[in-house]
Amino acid sequence: MMNLAWVVPLFPLGSFILLLLFGRRWKQRSAYVGIAAAFLSLLLALAVLVDRLGGSTYEANWTWMTIGGVTLTVGISATALNAWMLVVVALVSWLVHVYSQGYMAGDERFSTFYAYLGLFTFAMLGLVLSPNLLQAYIFWELVGLGSFLLIGFYFYKEEAKAAAKKAFIMTRIGDVGFFIGMMLLFWQTHSFDYDDIFRAVGDGTLSPGMTTLAVILIFIGAIGKSGQFPLHTWLPDAMEGPTPVSALIHAATMVAAGVYLVAALFPLYEASHAAMMTVATIGGVTAIFAATIGLVQTDIKRVLAYSTISQLGYMMLALGAGSYVAAIFHLTTHAFFKALLFLAAGSVIHAVRTQNIEEMGGLWRRLPWTAPLFLIGALSISGVPLFAGFFSKDEILTAAWTNGPRLLFWLAVAAALLTSFYMFRLFFLVFAGKARHHEDAHDAPASMVAPMLVLGVLSIASGYMQTPWFGSFLGEWLTDGAYRHEAAPGWIAVLATIVSFAGIFLAWLMYGAQKMPRDWLSARVPYVDELLRRHYYIDDIYRLTVVSLVSWISRLLTYVDRFLVEGLARLAAGIVGAAASAGSRGQNGQAQTYGAVTVAGLAILVVIFALTGGYWL
Amino acid sequence: MMFLSLLVFSPLLGIVLLMFVRKTDERMIQWLGTAATVPPLILALFAFIQSGRGFRLERLDEARDWVRLTDLPFLTDAAYVIRYELGIDGLSLVFIVLTAVLATLAALASMLVKTEKKGYFLWLLALEIGMLGVFSAANFVWFFLFLEVTLVAMFLLVGKWGGFERERAAYSYLLYNGLGSALLLVVIAVLLARTGTANFALLHEMLHNPAAEGQLIAPLTEEGRRWLLGGLLLAFAVKLPAVPFHRWIIRVHVEAPPPVVMLHAGVLLKIAAYGMIRFGVGLFPDEFRSFAGVLALFGVINVLYGALLALRQRELKRVLAYSSVSHMGVVLIGLGALNEAGIQGAVLQSVAHGLISALSFLLVGVLAHRMGTTDINRLGGLTKAMPLFSGYLLTAALALLGLPGLAGFVGEFTSFLGLFQTKPALAAVGALGLIFAAVYSLKAVLDITFGRPRDRREAVVSSREPQASAASLGEPQGGVVDLQGKEAVPAFILVALIVAVGVYPQLLAAPLTAVVKTMMNGLGG
Repeated sequence: MMNLAWVVPLFPLGSFILLLLFGRRWKQRSAYVGIAAAFLSLLLALAVLVDRLGGSTYEANWTWMTIGGVTLTVGISATALNAWMLVVVALVSWLVHVYSQGYMAGDERFSTFYAYLGLFTFAMLGLVLSPNLLQAYIFWELVGLGSFLLIGFYFYKEEAKAAAKKAFIMTRIGDVGFFIGMMLLFWQTHSFDYDDIFRAVGDGTLSPGMTTLAVILIFIGAIGKSGQFPLHTWLPDAMEGPTPVSALIHAATMVAAGVYLVAALFPLYEASHAAMMTVATIGGVTAIFAATIGLVQTDIKRVLAYSTISQLGYMMLALGAGSYVAAIFHLTTHAFFKALLFLAAGSVIHAVRTQNIEEMGGLWRRLPWTAPLFLIGALSISGVPLFAGFFSKDEILTAAWTNGPRLLFWLAVAAALLTSFYMFRLFFLVFAGKARHHEDAHDAPASMVAPMLVLGVLSIASGYMQTPWFGSFLGEWLTDGAYRHEAAPGWIAVLATIVSFAGIFLAWLMYGAQKMPRDWLSARVPYVDELLRRHYYIDDIYRLTVVSLVSWISRLLTYVDRFLVEGLARLAAGIVGAAASAGSRGQNGQAQTYGAVTVAGLAILVVIFALTGGYWL
Repeated sequence: MMFLSLLVFSPLLGIVLLMFVRKTDERMIQWLGTAATVPPLILALFAFIQSGRGFRLERLDEARDWVRLTDLPFLTDAAYVIRYELGIDGLSLVFIVLTAVLATLAALASMLVKTEKKGYFLWLLALEIGMLGVFSAANFVWFFLFLEVTLVAMFLLVGKWGGFERERAAYSYLLYNGLGSALLLVVIAVLLARTGTANFALLHEMLHNPAAEGQLIAPLTEEGRRWLLGGLLLAFAVKLPAVPFHRWIIRVHVEAPPPVVMLHAGVLLKIAAYGMIRFGVGLFPDEFRSFAGVLALFGVINVLYGALLALRQRELKRVLAYSSVSHMGVVLIGLGALNEAGIQGAVLQSVAHGLISALSFLLVGVLAHRMGTTDINRLGGLTKAMPLFSGYLLTAALALLGLPGLAGFVGEFTSFLGLFQTKPALAAVGALGLIFAAVYSLKAVLDITFGRPRDRREAVVSSREPQASAASLGEPQGGVVDLQGKEAVPAFILVALIVAVGVYPQLLAAPLTAVVKTMMNGLGG
């Protein structure tokens, strides 16, 4: 079935086109088109995966454009990584399609929503099938388009409009890095194909300096897309989009594309120590940086957004520490538990019609399905043993300890503590305590609960693909058997467990049992609290530096254009005008003047002729 | 074979028939005017398809004696014959198809033009003849003649059917382009005087084949050639336009009637790109090398300057005008790269920008008609009342900012690919323009379509319904009508073409490959 992998993205594309054309007529029935398309994609993706499990990589290419002697191609490449990503993306996408039927019910632009979901899914599936950088770039930008359209879905809200624009522009800044890096690689290797590029690294066609430069430029693209510091500021704002979108795009799939890209180019990154260090450092810093902001957020989706940024940082750290498997493993478990958390959060928002966690509370009884599912997600992300997140996080910590700088390891441990703390702060604030005026709150319909149930199961089960106890299936398969489990010091798992329970306990003290005052932090170090609440003032810094610089230059150029350029043009016009009036003054009807001019002109011509022999130059 | 003559002059039939229609019969004029653009479209598409199937375009060459200056006693027999010569290759064909398609769509879009329709269509058809002729001409004199036809037609179309400051815009257009043409004429005259021919192929032969050099009436020194090329490039730089010769294009974009801008931005600006490639690279390949760096530099300046100025504009037409400046910079970047990718990129970018700007100005025309303004500050939240229109406008913006999958990306990608080979650092600086393009396009279009309605007319609508919430979205509201059938057709066709080129650029690249290869051979030798 691998030779049919190219069909996988076409189902959602078809759904997009159909819904664009007929969606307004089909109204609520549009959901069935979207769900069916996503389901077909999932089935085929599973078939491809099964095929790949027992076989080897399949690749096919078609001409996209010829330039002189070079043929640029598009195609599909069913490597282990790609086949795996295909299933993860198709699965989460299908679940979100199902969930949205209930969540978006009654929206006037229901069919448009499903159309956009189809477009996004198409682009994401196309991205993870790419055999070359150019195709990856094309779909990379198209997933950005899907994200942009869905963030701005509530177009009449000024916040949504601003968030959509910001998301597009911030990620585009990264994309330009990707673009430049890709171009540089092309002229070094005369190909965009991953395989050709890897070969060039191997045989030394690609110099180490150029490799480092190009992959760091491409990494800037990954920074933008995966919300890594310092291009992360769009991701929290992206929460303006409908919640299912946050689950699909801004938690499970698109934001993980940066991680995927680095993984897909891994041989290239491995060739450059500097690049690996950059990846690890950006990842580690982002992990702790975003986790600290997550501590003080009061919007349920924004807490989750910062948590996503932080977890993506973990994945980058794993990549930088050389553990490709750990990164993909965490990408997978994260896709499931974070999608679960977002969908559960959506269900909460659906029930209480607010996103402010300080206005929530006591929802455990009122949401009998959502609450335990959210708890599963929270336990998983906190790294509580036996849940999926525990295994994947452990893998990352091990990698960071064995290959990474010590500092990054400790940062990652600290981030793990903060993660379990803010997740359970969220849990206790929303579900524990007294119920507050949400008497009418009731749980979501079955169409919303069912996808959450599936994700709940996966948030536990997906961890067992790769454990210290039952073998490392995922790692061995992804690396074609080359993987060997690092002889991890046993204390790392113990430490991770302690840290995770410590965070939960602390959260329970403050927000569950309320034995500790909630303003413990803000009372002691108010400026730190303020710093976190303002997201380290990053947005303000950008506004005061980059944005104002560009607008200053732009204003300056406006004046240059209006006065200098226009002035020169007027001068030229003036000279022509002056010459014209001088000429017409000469035309005064006096034959003597005409004669004089004629003689003088003739004389000049003769002189020129004498000097140049008739031809000048 | 009269195929090319037929293609170029077939709009004449429409002109003649229009003469017999009463001025007041606007429906008939609209119908006839549009129909008159169909024959060249059919012929152009026919040629395109045939050449795709392997038909050799040289077989369409036409030549006829026109002016013979042999009777003068001091001239030899062979010299100074100016013939009526038409001939095309893959490069011209791409532009001819672009012209024919956009002319028909512009004629369709002209239904929003209400005053003096008869005269309007007469000049529009004349403009089309001029444009088709420019790309079909096989010698310099005819190229120039056709170019001047477009100049006159455009001058009148802007000056008479334009906006509030139409006359100023028309004179501005005439002044800049007149100067450009004057310079071009000097170059042509010198070439004619030195070689005795204006035919491109012969010129190429005489300038490059050392054996043929003896036939020159007077030798051309290396320096002389460089001067000629410099003049040529300067003339076309004014018409492209390159910064700092761009002021006229802003005025024309703002003042000319939108359907005319569809042709102006869509085709007329591309004549400069075509000229630079055909004459610059084609006739003076060796000399071109010494100008490549300057062109690339100006390209990058154009890209950034146009984009940065577009950021601050609050009038949609001005945003688009500066974005045209920026996009023409990409053409210069491709030419400055002076390799296969660069030249192909310059052509692809020309076509892509032609389609995209035609779509943009089609929509601008509708917007101005519906809302009475294209001032961004006075518009907002249009998606609510005009969902279809807003969707098209957003598509245009995405195409402008070079989204992959749409035509704009193909042009930019290929041009930049070229420059990254020869001047990576400069190309990297130019690539920053991609960010600014996203900023200005999205800023302008989202301010119009997203957010809260801001226009007076819409404000009235929303005050009648104080609870205008998500529940009431989607219904067309009083006074503002969404894109309708007849307007949606050209918009749909343009989007389809933009997507087609974006998804499968080989469609355009195929006819270009041979031409680009020939030119690169010239460069190599």
